[in-house]
Amino acid sequence: METLTLEKNKLPQLIKKIQSRYTVLAPTKCDNITLFKPINDYKEINLDFLNSKVSPKSILFCQTETLFKFKQGISAEVKSVDFPNSKNVIFGIRPCDAKSFSIVDFVFKDDFVDPYYMNKRENTVLIGLSCIKPGVNCFCTSMNGGPAFAEDVDILLTDIGDKYYVEIKTSKGNEVVKTSKDLFSKASSSDKNKKQEISEKVEKAITRNMNTKGIVEKLDKIFEDPIWKNISLKCLGCGICTYQCPTCHCFDIQDETTLSDGARVRVWDTCMNPEYTVHASGHNPRPARMNRTRNRVYHKFNYYPKNYNIIACVGCGRCINDCPVNIDIIDIIDQAREVKA
Amino acid sequence: MVDLKKLRESTEKIINRDDVKYVIGWEKGTHGFQVTPLFITSSDDVERLIFNPLCVHNLTVFLMLQEKLPLRKGAEEDKRKVGVIVKGCDSRAIVQIIQEKGLNRDDVVIIGIPCTGVIDPKKINKKFPNQTKTVDIDEDANNFVIKIDGKTHKVPKEELLMDKCKQCQFPNPIIYDVLVGSEIKTTGKPNYKDVESFEKKSLKEKWEYWEKQFEKCIRCYACRNVCPMCYCKECMVDQLNPQWIRRSVNVSENTAWNIMRAFHLAGRCIDCGECERVCPAEIPLVKLNKKLEKEVLELFDYRAGLDVDVKPLLSMFKPDDPEEFIL
Amino acid sequence: MSKDSFEPNIVAFLCNWCSYAGADLAGTSRIEYPPNVKIIRVMCSGRVNPMFIVNALHEGADGVLIGGCHPGDCHYIQGNYFARRRIAVLKKLLEYLGIDERRVRMTWVSAAEGKKFADVIREVTDDIRKLGPTHQIRRSNSW
Repeated sequence: METLTLEKNKLPQLIKKIQSRYTVLAPTKCDNITLFKPINDYKEINLDFLNSKVSPKSILFCQTETLFKFKQGISAEVKSVDFPNSKNVIFGIRPCDAKSFSIVDFVFKDDFVDPYYMNKRENTVLIGLSCIKPGVNCFCTSMNGGPAFAEDVDILLTDIGDKYYVEIKTSKGNEVVKTSKDLFSKASSSDKNKKQEISEKVEKAITRNMNTKGIVEKLDKIFEDPIWKNISLKCLGCGICTYQCPTCHCFDIQDETTLSDGARVRVWDTCMNPEYTVHASGHNPRPARMNRTRNRVYHKFNYYPKNYNIIACVGCGRCINDCPVNIDIIDIIDQAREVKA
Repeated sequence: MVDLKKLRESTEKIINRDDVKYVIGWEKGTHGFQVTPLFITSSDDVERLIFNPLCVHNLTVFLMLQEKLPLRKGAEEDKRKVGVIVKGCDSRAIVQIIQEKGLNRDDVVIIGIPCTGVIDPKKINKKFPNQTKTVDIDEDANNFVIKIDGKTHKVPKEELLMDKCKQCQFPNPIIYDVLVGSEIKTTGKPNYKDVESFEKKSLKEKWEYWEKQFEKCIRCYACRNVCPMCYCKECMVDQLNPQWIRRSVNVSENTAWNIMRAFHLAGRCIDCGECERVCPAEIPLVKLNKKLEKEVLELFDYRAGLDVDVKPLLSMFKPDDPEEFIL
Repeated sequence: MSKDSFEPNIVAFLCNWCSYAGADLAGTSRIEYPPNVKIIRVMCSGRVNPMFIVNALHEGADGVLIGGCHPGDCHYIQGNYFARRRIAVLKKLLEYLGIDERRVRMTWVSAAEGKKFADVIREVTDDIRKLGPTHQIRRSNSW
């Protein structure tokens, strides 16, 4: 829509202006890891980060979400929860994580519109921050994204030295900065070139890549192949890969009660947990770890593309970084491609 | 440093036995300083086997992770043994599990490696950030020799060793069938300085510290799954009736979970440090385990995983156990 | 709530054979003791899983008391010895986390010690009244 520039020293002012109308969530240092948290002051923001440990999906799709409350006994009643009217800005979201929202949107507004997610989604503005230094396991360029990919954010800032190159992509984004237009200046074509230059340089610095050509069809043919068994042998069955993943969106629903009242809550669940698929009868259709590791790959690279025509991976590399036993999704896809079907 | 050739030879001998299903070792990982568990099922796989100071994983956990799935009609259970390569600390896990009768000694073939200490992945990734290609690592008496892009870096061991290795008392496997290499003399002493200095804080300070830590927990249960000692068929945290701990993720539930995890390791933790290594929220879990180790040593003069014939700490007692706290 | 008016909520796990009978004796002997204690009868103090204690604190107890037979008198020969070990370790762990270890107490009360039972309850209640309510691991229930 519009391209501007912002002097770096004016960023605190901009955040302050935004804070008067929005709740700002930004990367902050929590002990020794970086997480997205609501901030009160610009000083809490930590922009020296590769990416947050847990993906910012946790803001829109909370790990614990109350669906409704109830009272038990004679005076039993059900109370719905109010949706807060507050508007949020996620500041400093990486383009890959922003892309994950565009991917997960399909699930949450497909045949049933999930009000809990969608309400937050509609009231949240994404101010992205291009990566200037990729991580070891970043491969966003293989997943139709890039370190300065602006399609999924409302505003994208790119660090071009002494200032930020600002791309306002949507009217939602425009709304955020409309009261602080005086902080910005018009972008010149040299600014634009600089941004181009930087983003190309960063793209080149990304060393890992995943070849997904024809993977959907390929996976169809190798469901029963022994590679899944081999890959799963070293899987511990913990939830790191799925909890950290920006596109994993499975949840469990639980009633939490005291004697008099309670609530139905939704919490993240992971398909790596054997309990995930256990039926009420006690039967488990995915009894072995092999079935579960395979499911994670298939969900992202086969089922999801079949349903929504997009691969459910953004190439953020979190699952590779944090897997305790080095199960590497790039390696798995490579192995899968090599199998003779 | 272990002679890789000898290790591979011994492994090959074991995998060629008819009564062995597979041998668990390590192989090169996919990037940077990663090393990954390897399941050797035939002698062809043996050449992938490596051992270097990056082999942090406690492979004992895979003995406990073996799945016993329902068999098809007429199929017979594979009762062959499993081989596992262990360092000193890992072997204590096996001893402890055998003690608890979680594992039958005859079902495992243990290849022991006297270990001179492993590298803390966090420390090395901080020192050499952004390593995509896999890296070769060697060691001499006091240094790690790291070859990156043709350049050789010599780093003093003290700088990169895992904290547990700096005070290791049991570098030699306690239990094994084959020992590769010769035993190492030990100088390590149990060191509880960290624990002791933390104990001196006030209750309020302590709680503030742990509250901040437990707040970060995302309850992925990686600490539990990677722990060789956590092998209950159904973990108490997964139980629904009664539900001890809710699935909600908040400070109070996370605290209860972490108390439960820590307590269940009282007198059982063999200090391999895997839980802290894998924790994505970087919660200092070893600090909790160490405290219990210290208390158990002081109260009951007991150390986990040293003798197969001793009873587990909490399933025995002495009539004169300390009881000054009892009213 | 001011500290003076704070009435602690104490859960007591008492063994069926000694402590519970001791509490019973205190009652039948009409010995008065503070009503802050909620008794849960278990078959043996060795039955008290440390998670019971954590769960009690979690669900809103300000203190937990475990009562067993005197050493050597256990109906199951050794249950109370096992309990003693566990509680000793648990207390150290709680203290380390910043939860006052005095919130978890253990006592030996025989079936003949109604008076001792009342004394113990009085002591524990006074102690915990001074400590005030637990806030560390209390379940929030704020959905």
